[in-house]
Amino acid sequence: MHEQSLFASVPVHQHHELLQQLAGLTAMQPRHCLERRLIFKAYRKPGMAGRIGASQDLQQGDLQRLNKMLNGNMYYTQVVGPVSESDFGSTAPVDRDTQMAGMDDSKPYDSSSPSYDYERQPWKLEFRDIPEAGTRSAVTSRLMSSATLPRGDVVEAMNAWGYHFITEYVVEGDMFVLNDIAIFLHRVLHYPGGDESSLPRRQLPALKDMTLFEKSGSYVLQAFIIVQDGSNQETMKTASQHLFGLREQLKSAVLLEQADRLSLDTRAK
Amino acid sequence: MPITGVYFIPSNPNASTALQVITERLRAAFPNEELTPIGRWGLEQKLLRDTQGLLPSSNSNKKPSNPRYMQFLSLTHYPTHGFIYTSEPEKPIPVPNQNQTQGAPGPVNAIAPDHSPSPPMVMTTIPPSSYGTLFQHFTYACQPFWSHRFTLAVPNGIVYEVGDFRVRLGDVRQTFPTARVRGTVVEIEWCGPSVVEAIPVDREDGSFDVGVGAGGDCDVDVEGAGIDLASSAIEESDIDAEYAATASLIREFWGRLGVEAREAILIPNVGREVKDRLRRWKKAGSGADTRADTKVDKTGSVVGERAEEDPDPWSGADVARQFMEVLRFNR
Repeated sequence: MHEQSLFASVPVHQHHELLQQLAGLTAMQPRHCLERRLIFKAYRKPGMAGRIGASQDLQQGDLQRLNKMLNGNMYYTQVVGPVSESDFGSTAPVDRDTQMAGMDDSKPYDSSSPSYDYERQPWKLEFRDIPEAGTRSAVTSRLMSSATLPRGDVVEAMNAWGYHFITEYVVEGDMFVLNDIAIFLHRVLHYPGGDESSLPRRQLPALKDMTLFEKSGSYVLQAFIIVQDGSNQETMKTASQHLFGLREQLKSAVLLEQADRLSLDTRAK
Repeated sequence: MPITGVYFIPSNPNASTALQVITERLRAAFPNEELTPIGRWGLEQKLLRDTQGLLPSSNSNKKPSNPRYMQFLSLTHYPTHGFIYTSEPEKPIPVPNQNQTQGAPGPVNAIAPDHSPSPPMVMTTIPPSSYGTLFQHFTYACQPFWSHRFTLAVPNGIVYEVGDFRVRLGDVRQTFPTARVRGTVVEIEWCGPSVVEAIPVDREDGSFDVGVGAGGDCDVDVEGAGIDLASSAIEESDIDAEYAATASLIREFWGRLGVEAREAILIPNVGREVKDRLRRWKKAGSGADTRADTKVDKTGSVVGERAEEDPDPWSGADVARQFMEVLRFNR
């Protein structure tokens, strides 16, 4: 699968107006979304790459192929889970065990209060390659994959698969759909209190305590089309033409353009 | 999740497989059973190995490290999900934070006291739509540490019902890197009454469905079998005992055929999901309404609509482990 995109920066004072413009253009109400995004990094044992040993068991060709694989690229990848506003600042579902163990019995558990259950959090693995270099058309085109993972704690499986958890953040934004184009107007929120946690959070702080990554509060507008078969030049071309069409329609409001390729580099060094 | 055992009979690339022999022995050993196929089944397995482990060791006095595997398995009798079974990392990533007080139970398992030399493995189940995508991801983006070694398939398996057992057998063909025959695989499933089947499957909303056994397609009538137990009446030791007892039934069944084979029944971690389910059931039963206030419809995500819910994501994990155990050829 390939993702073709155009991006624009939207200052905070323009946000409300642009939301209304997009609602008018797409003839739909914005779909508000909040996502937890966990960043994982591929790892391997150090000092192993490029080692050439005695080759009595292996054909020379095999060995070359293996060495090429060992020196191949490794990537950062994201694990993305949808959350709702009520998940923030809420407590974990009360366990009978912990309730009994708790010393304070004076506060009765209010079963109607919202709770966030990390064990039931759905996740998707979202991989994006570094954008393709030297594409003739002026859109950001990159190989992508998206796969549903089991609910709950994904760290054990991710570790076994060769990834370890680096950090996490939250994206808030609004989604629109115009024909085959998805339009996502969003910004990044950081958790309060820095990044000392080495595991994904089991509880979320209150949404108002989240801090803006971009201090000015500005948003990013991403317009993208997902092409199932990226090797099909015809569909790839059609997709970029549709994006150019949208760029023209939004010309008076925002400037949609290709992103800097290296700023979207997902390769792990 | 029914209790099963899996046997594998390897064969030489150009010789005929044991399939014919086993079918004849089945007929001979159970003369009173009408041996007619009741269905078809199939499987596909893709095996990946750690790329580093494939290199010859340059340092001869250093003992070779344990190979690590990642196995993708899909079974037609568990169509709602595919299985990924992965060796744990050799040196677990240090986890300084004690957030996770209740960690995974680990490989310690009373059912299988024998420890296999390979490192413990992590089971994951994923929806079929993600199965191919994830495999492609690992072969594209993880080349320095995962290398696709081979793909095996049972394209045309046959299902028989023999007494209280369901028998699935079929020839295992390697389809990648070269096409060849690898042998014959036999799954024996116990369809009689079982304590394991009496543990209800918990739903996504936290409720429990009694006797729905979503994975097992043996129609065990739990009520009819007289097994109608409260969660407090079943202990984990009962599950271990049940697995052990059923394993001896399966072994006895296989013994009557007199065919030598590689066996996988009480392998490490078998029964783990059943115990987890029991634990959740007990927890739900002990408290009042402790279930999470599950939001029926969370705000949609950018990444798309929620995948169709799997009624029991862990069904078939045991038999998947057994298949992967016998089909994990060291290469």
